[in-house]
Order: sequence, then structure tokens, then C-alpha cells
Amino acid sequence: MTLSKRHLALLALAIIALTVLPTMLKTYGLYLLTLWLVYIIAAFGLNLTVGYAGLKSLCHAGFMGIGAYTVAILMKAGVSFWLATPVAIVLCFAFGLLIGFPALRVQLHYLGFATLGFNLLLMLFFRNEEWLTGGTFGIQNIKRPELFGYSLMGNLPFYYVVLALTVIAGAALAYLLRSPWGRAFAALRDNPIRAESTGVNITAYTLMSFAIGAAYAGLAGALFAPLVNFIEPAPFGIGNSLLFLLMVVVGGSGRFYGPVLGSAIALLLPEYLRFAKDWYLAVFGFAVVVMMIWLPGGLLSIKETWQLHRAKRDVKSARPEAA
Amino acid sequence: MKPTATKLFAAALACAGALAANASLAQAIKVAQVLELSGGGTTAGTMYRNGVKLAMNEINAAGGIMGRKVEVSEMDTQSQPAVAKAMTIKAIDDGVSAIFGPVFSGSILVSMTESQKASIPNFTGGEAANLTAQGNPFLFRSSFNQAMGMPKVANYLANDLKVKSVAVVFINNDFGKGGRDAIIKELGARNIKVAADISADPGQVDFSSTVLRAKQANADAVFAYLNEEESARLLRELRKQGYDKPIVGETTIMGAKVIELAGSAANGVRGHVGLTAEAPTASIQAFAQKFEKEFKTKSDHNGIKGYFSAYVYKAAVEKAKSTDGKAVAAALKNSCFSAKQFPGVLMDVCFDDKGDIDRESFLVEVKEGKQIVTATLPPLTKR
Repeated sequence: MTLSKRHLALLALAIIALTVLPTMLKTYGLYLLTLWLVYIIAAFGLNLTVGYAGLKSLCHAGFMGIGAYTVAILMKAGVSFWLATPVAIVLCFAFGLLIGFPALRVQLHYLGFATLGFNLLLMLFFRNEEWLTGGTFGIQNIKRPELFGYSLMGNLPFYYVVLALTVIAGAALAYLLRSPWGRAFAALRDNPIRAESTGVNITAYTLMSFAIGAAYAGLAGALFAPLVNFIEPAPFGIGNSLLFLLMVVVGGSGRFYGPVLGSAIALLLPEYLRFAKDWYLAVFGFAVVVMMIWLPGGLLSIKETWQLHRAKRDVKSARPEAA
Repeated sequence: MKPTATKLFAAALACAGALAANASLAQAIKVAQVLELSGGGTTAGTMYRNGVKLAMNEINAAGGIMGRKVEVSEMDTQSQPAVAKAMTIKAIDDGVSAIFGPVFSGSILVSMTESQKASIPNFTGGEAANLTAQGNPFLFRSSFNQAMGMPKVANYLANDLKVKSVAVVFINNDFGKGGRDAIIKELGARNIKVAADISADPGQVDFSSTVLRAKQANADAVFAYLNEEESARLLRELRKQGYDKPIVGETTIMGAKVIELAGSAANGVRGHVGLTAEAPTASIQAFAQKFEKEFKTKSDHNGIKGYFSAYVYKAAVEKAKSTDGKAVAAALKNSCFSAKQFPGVLMDVCFDDKGDIDRESFLVEVKEGKQIVTATLPPLTKR
């Protein structure tokens, strides 16, 4: 299967826009845009675990924390960012395998609880192992990397690096999903028993969906640390794990571009609701509830939901004639 | 006389100059409040915000700073350092001349690197000792550094209460951890034993095991150093479990908001406060009344910090005759501002070269839901 011409043209247009647009933005806008890309990478990973493989994971921010702390600690020890990042990704992959094991035994909300517990464990580790993680003081002055001797300290160069990595990560995921693996993940989600009976190795794919999802979070964390220049336990808590889940679900879980839209909404909507002052969190929460009632498939399902609605109406209006 | 080209040019220049001067006269001074308006720091952030708001309204009503109105924008850090940093960047993009907040030490520690890069004075309510140790020339405190407050508490424990051992309860964030490290050092210097060293989590709701451990330590007193909400919950639990030995704290636990939240459980708590709306000073009393009238709640130390910050900024701009960040910072360093000359600063205050402040402070005790000042302590260094 190949991409349609229209799809390809739109994608190229979006990437060009993301290349040109930032030159017109001020520091804050650029920061927000970079953060958005980092969130997209993390949400890509969670979409694989939750949306495609159907495993309810609630420790994505924790994985991101492992990535961020790994890079921060290694960079403080003098290791290059380009070396530290693969280490972070591999470490997250390993932790993903580890946490994937309970996923083989428990399912649905029980799995949610298990992963929630794992995230809590990580939080406690980040907060209390001061010798390694700096405890609540966090790790400060994390430098941005160099690339071929060219410093990425500036906001714009760093943005382009993140953009390039986001595109690569997205392409890799698209490739994965179009391979037999992607179909195996979907089979796992839709009906694990039937999947097994047709020869899909459930154990391997369950572990893999967790580990690959975690690896994406690791890459996002590795970029998050030098972006903010500072890390502490709070951004990797349970609240943000739920936020990632929100991104995937709001955008449209199991849809490739769901995380792109979802993370934009989770990041930007609170920004534009600031006029509501103290009420903006309430407004945001309410908007999500309303959306979940009318559009349970996420925003990207709006077309299908509308078509379904129309089809139902047509059936209803057709019925009296038939009778 | 025929006007020469030179004269015409000079006249035009003068006109343009006058216009420019006029424009700058009319142009408002933009400042931003970057504060904890949601999340775990809401209590502290909102108090500080209200303090600045009250002061800026007064300043604008009285004609502004050097004839220019002050325009205040408010931004919410959600009590998260990363957001605080982003909001500070946003404020700088908006072209502000000064930034007020955040209050939480963890947040200001991160956001102040941005205001430093942009050479913008940044006032904070943060008390962690390491803030001013970073060598940021644009950071100014509005309250005591923990390293300055803790010796006073330790003296009080050693000399007034004559305790031999203390159970320390602290909140496990940079504010609490910094305070815990400072007090333990000071207690050691006075040969007071630390019978228990108990950490509480930010946002912790159930304090029963915390209090149980404090009780089992069997110390002569408990020293508690937590944020507002956690302080109130600890006090309620201490009373519930019938703790009857002295409860001593530094600033936060005797705060008006804690008393409001803890109710009668706060009675009997004592210790040292850098700032209190109950101070027996006419200027602070007047402030406290205005604050309560405006916001229908009593100001705690964070409200005073905000009010003070705004007026100190005004004094510094007027001294520097400019809103330029570097000039304002220079006007604050190693300078004293007397309450007589600048009524808004409320108490005589001196800034040192690091941005730390020194002024009078108070020993207080909570009696029947009110903070009672039992003694006024002089500034650490007499100038």
C-alpha cells in the first residue's frame, strides 16, 4: 500500500509550513511549537500501545522521565547528546519489555492500575534518589547539543533538529504499521484469541508494542531535557501520563495523525482558554467530556461519525416506506 | 531673519524630541505576574498576585511611576517549573520591564535564567537558600532567605523553649528540603538533637503516619516546615492525635491562610515569621485592612511580599530614573529603602549585592485563631 497523491501533497505542505512558519515566531511561540513536536513523538508511541495494540498503559510520562533523566545524567557526566539519546531509547525499550510482562497476565483496567503503580514507583525514585537524580531540586543547566560542530543552543536550530527527528520517528512508525507487525498489533487489539489461532505470537507482540511505545517516550524525554534545560520529577508524574492518554484519545486513538492533533489540543487549548482566567481548566475539562460523549472515536473520527449519523437517519426515514 | 536649513532641522529635531518624550510619557510600563494561580501553589501564588494587584492599583490611582501608568498582565504557571519558564519567556516576548513571581522556589529557580538572559528584574517570594546563591544579578527576594530565618528559629528553640531534642517534619520539595537542611545545621550548632527526620510529600492528604512517627520520636518539640495546605493538614492531624508538646515553625505554618484552613488546630503554634499582617506597625496594619477590604480575606506573608515587591520596584525605577532592567537592578543592589520615605515598602528594608533582603522580623504565637506578635527581632546586620 502506498500513500495517495493527495495525502503526500498535504504531508509535504505541512512539513514546509512547519519549516517556514517558525522563522516568524517569537521565542515563546517557538518554544511551544518545539514542545508540541516533543509531545507528538511521545504520543506516537502511546498511540501504538493504546490505539493500535489496545493495551491501556498509564505510565507513559514515566517512560519519558527515564529518557529525560538518562540524557540529563549522561550529559552532565560529559557524554555527548547523540550518544546519550540512543542509550535513553534502549533503556526505555528495556523497561518497556519489563513492564510488558504484567501486561501478559492482566488486562484492561487491571493493566491500567499496574502501569499506574509503575509510574508512581518511578516518581518516587526520581524524587528520593538524590545522589543520582538531584531529588526535588532536579537537574539544572542541561545544555543543548552540538551537531557537526554547530551549536544548537539557539531556539531555531534546536527546533529544526526536533522537527527532523519527529518526521523520522513518524516515518518509522508509519512503516512499522504498514508492515505485518502493524496488522498483528491491530489483530491483538480486536480479538486476541482469534489472533492467536491464526498464528500471531501474542506474547511477543504484546511485549513489543509496550517496548516500542516506551522507546518513543524515551526519545521524547531525551529531547525534552535539553529543550527545557532543566528537569525535575513533576513533569513525569501520573497527571501527565493521563494527559498523554488524553492526547491519544482526543485526537483519535488508533489513527496515525490522532496524536498530532491530540497533542496540539492538549497543549494549545489551555493556552487559548486563558481569557477564562481561573476557569480555564474547568472549561478545558468540560470540553473534553462533551467531546467524549459526542465523538468517542476522537476528533479525527468526525467524518465517519457524521456519515454514520446520516446513514442512521436515512434508514429511519426509509423505514416507514418499507412498512 | 531667514531660517537657515540648519535651524529648521534643529527645530524639527526639537519637535521630534518633544514628541518622543511625550510618547514615552504616555506609554505604560508593562510588567508581568508569573504566578501559581492553579495547582499545588495556588494559595501562595494567589496571595502574592493580590498583593501586587493592590499595590499597582494604588500606584496607578496616584499617577503611576514617573507619570507612566503600569500595565500588569497575569500568567499562570500551574505550579510547574517548566510552565513557569515558558510563561516567563512569553512575558519577555511581550516586552515587560519587570517580572513578579513565581513564588515557588523550584519554579523561580528555572524561570529566572530567562529573565536574567533578557536583563529584566525578577522579584520572587521564594525562600530556598540556593536561589540567590546562583549569582543572578536580576533576582530580588521579597522575603528572608531560609539561611537567614532558620538561625532565628533555632535560637528560639534553644533559648526560649530550652528544648533538647526536636522532631523535624518537612515537605519533600526544594523549599522544604532546603529548609530542612538549614534547620538541621543550625540545631546541630546548638547541640539540639534531631530525634526524627520525617518527610511529607507535596499534596499529601493523610498525615496520620507522619504524626505517629513524630509522636513516637518523643522529642521535646516538633519543627514543621511545609507549604500552606500541607501545614494545615499536619496541624489538624497533630491535634487529632492529641500532640501536646510545642509545635514550632518558620513563617508558613503560622500564616493567615494556614490558620484559616486548620481552624482551632492552629492554636498554640509558634515560631519565627519574616512578615505578618499582624505586625504591630501602623503601615502594615493599614495594608492589612486595605487587603481584607479588597479581597475579602486576610493577607498572609505572601500578600505582603507581593505588595512590597511592587512598591520596591516603583522606588527603584524612580531612583534609577529609568525602567531599564540593568539600571533598576543597580538601583536595588546594596540599597536601603526606609518606610518613611517609601511608605509602600511597609518596613525599612535593605538589599545586599546578591538580592537578599534584611529587615526586622517577628516571633509569633497563634492564639484563638489569631497570630499574636510576642517579640520583634532586629535586622541581622545594622547598617
